[in-house]
Amino acid sequence: MADKNMSILVVDDFPTMRRIVRSLLKELGFNNVDEAEDGQEALNKLRAGGFEFVVSDWNMPNLDGLSMLKEIRQDDALSELPVLMVTAEAKKENIIAAAQAGANGYVVKPFTAATLEEKLDKIFEKLGK
Amino acid sequence: MSGETQPENSADGAPADELIHKIGKMTRMLHESMRELGLDKEIEKAAEAIPDARDRLSYVAAMTEQAAERSLNAIDQAQPLQERMESGAEKLDQRWEEWFAAPVELDDAKELVKDTREFLRDVPTQTKATNAQLLEIMMAQDFQDLTGQVIKKMMDVIREIEQQLVQVLIDTAPESHNKEELQQLADERSRKPQKGGDELLNGPQIKPEGTDVVNNQDQVDDLLDSLGF
Repeated sequence: MADKNMSILVVDDFPTMRRIVRSLLKELGFNNVDEAEDGQEALNKLRAGGFEFVVSDWNMPNLDGLSMLKEIRQDDALSELPVLMVTAEAKKENIIAAAQAGANGYVVKPFTAATLEEKLDKIFEKLGK
Repeated sequence: MSGETQPENSADGAPADELIHKIGKMTRMLHESMRELGLDKEIEKAAEAIPDARDRLSYVAAMTEQAAERSLNAIDQAQPLQERMESGAEKLDQRWEEWFAAPVELDDAKELVKDTREFLRDVPTQTKATNAQLLEIMMAQDFQDLTGQVIKKMMDVIREIEQQLVQVLIDTAPESHNKEELQQLADERSRKPQKGGDELLNGPQIKPEGTDVVNNQDQVDDLLDSLGF
């Protein structure tokens, strides 16, 4: 059973989407949620420490989700951080690139609450949380 | 002056149809020059981008309509639930009022108590159902992110069109205008940091055809499975 107090970072350049993901996480019992509006801000927050999970969009200004993911995997302190991509990017090459870069899951927009829950659970299961 | 429909003479006295002939020749020359400079290709590109912009707008319209319908449908589902709960509670309350005003036989009270307990037991079911509709309305707001991304892309397309057309104007401007100044202005306005490697930043797919696109979460899952992830 995943720790409901887990600290989660939601990354998306659209505030509406951040709000929706936050609400869905709240429905699932996760209230310890912070937000970032692009990959760079996210990395800064992650490096400051304390986060256990990342839910991130791809297409963002300053630093996009894939580049951010690659930086996370290369950072010793962050390399094991679970990252779930939630994005409108729906070309096969996107999915392949994300998987190869080390994403733990891929949810394509528009998505349902059930899908988000399912993918989160799948990641928790694999991580033995 | 006179009521004649005779064409008027131009300044140097040449008849009007000779003038028209000259204009025709100049137009042809302009067309040729544009072709030689490759400017007609620029205009063609700009024109080709317009159907794409139209598709994007149509996508935005479709998404916003869908979101509105989804929300309104959810509201249609939730309102009767609320109304039923409200009237149920009012009826029970009325019966309790009457009972307290004139406390009656145990059997009648038992009936009221039973009904009240049943109502209370049903409340969580009704509120859960309403909550589910509220969740549906919240999820329906996801259109804003998708349409926002498409609109951003469209702004890029429009900027591109504008650039092409301005460039054509500059290149065909008569020498009396300060071309360099105009070019500078155009360059400034068109300045947009070009990111390399944008091939993976396409935004939402507005046309779900094509073999290199996935259309739903199931296809994403299948692809990941096939790759062993």
